[in-house]
Amino acid sequence: MTYLILGFVLFFLFSVQTTLLGMFSLSGVTPDLILIVAVYCGIHSKKNGGIWLAVLVGFFQDCLSGGLLGVNSLSKGLAGLFFCALKDKIFVEGPIPISFFIFFTSLVDGLIYLLAMTSILGGQAKGGFFFSSVILFGIYNAVVAPFLFYIFDKGRKWINLRLSSQAFDTI
Amino acid sequence: MTVNARYDKSNLFFESVVGWFFSPAQNLFSNSTKAISDVFDHYLFLVDTSRVNDRLLLEVDRLSRENNKLLERKKFLERSKKLVEYFDKDGSPFVVAEVIGYDATQWSKMIFINRGTDHKVEKKLTVMTDAGIVGHVIHSSPKSSKVLLITDSRSAIDSLFQKSRESGVTVGTGEKTCQMKFVPILAEVSVGDKVISSGLGGVFPKGLMVGTVLDVVKQNQELFQEITIVPSADLSHLEEVVVILPSKEEK
Repeated sequence: MTYLILGFVLFFLFSVQTTLLGMFSLSGVTPDLILIVAVYCGIHSKKNGGIWLAVLVGFFQDCLSGGLLGVNSLSKGLAGLFFCALKDKIFVEGPIPISFFIFFTSLVDGLIYLLAMTSILGGQAKGGFFFSSVILFGIYNAVVAPFLFYIFDKGRKWINLRLSSQAFDTI
Repeated sequence: MTVNARYDKSNLFFESVVGWFFSPAQNLFSNSTKAISDVFDHYLFLVDTSRVNDRLLLEVDRLSRENNKLLERKKFLERSKKLVEYFDKDGSPFVVAEVIGYDATQWSKMIFINRGTDHKVEKKLTVMTDAGIVGHVIHSSPKSSKVLLITDSRSAIDSLFQKSRESGVTVGTGEKTCQMKFVPILAEVSVGDKVISSGLGGVFPKGLMVGTVLDVVKQNQELFQEITIVPSADLSHLEEVVVILPSKEEK
């Protein structure tokens, strides 16, 4: 049941990401809900489950993107790994820490994509444009993330109350 | 009085006095009756009105939805008709597709269309609107396909200027515009020149509109000009596109 709900949430988020989110673009930049999910999974999963979940959502994002298969799996997986490894040492509660870490992760995600695009895909990226986009991307994600975290937290608590205790924390 | 009316005589004084005397009472009774009647009509007899109102509101909602649906359908048919008319003249087979989604990441310029291998849409086919080239198919599954837009930084189209016939390569920048590369510094290019596909490269047929020159920068020490091109097709508002299928000779 937990996996079914998780699947449904991911399906909904991917649908929003590939359709509606274009309407909220600022200078062609849209927030990356999947990145926020990957970070959330890294922070709130038990043991190493978050890494695999982050890799999985990254892989789905790769499948729904025109880029090289694996770039998002790598970047989201790294985000999952980072937060899984450090979740006991860092404090990611409240809007400011969440925004800070999401901003930082967005920059890394953008840079990984830039490296992949210029080195492997042979893309013609304008450095200036790309970096300004990455900054705006980070800010946009940082603004959206606290709301999503809040919704995820509420949803997780609600589901844990109704399903077997801590069903969502077993992942 | 009847005689007076027939012979157009003026009113008698008695008539006027009686009229003046009774008119307030008449007004009072008339207004009271009306008020009572209103109370009955608009308050006591309104048992069903709320239900009728609810039903009518639902009906209005339904009709609005239906109207909106029909308007959308009409617009869709108008756009499709325009596309079909444009591509029918050309004679090459094509399939009209709807845009159903955008890239899941921030960095790629890609769209999903609702036609795939079931509709003979395959990799490397040209995707257009009546205004010009949109991109090419990079992946197709049975029911949908991925189309890489010409503004993606990995896209490259061998192109030439319609007027001067100078050639170059139109590459995406990841922004809303493209750049035309490898155009010699001495080539005559001006703002507003049309750029078309050259047919080289094997993906885009010759003579399709790519875009219009927006800006030209010539630097003396450089070998090539820096040319910015605006795509002819409005890539930010794509709804329907046409996939050019290979003709029988090409197969």
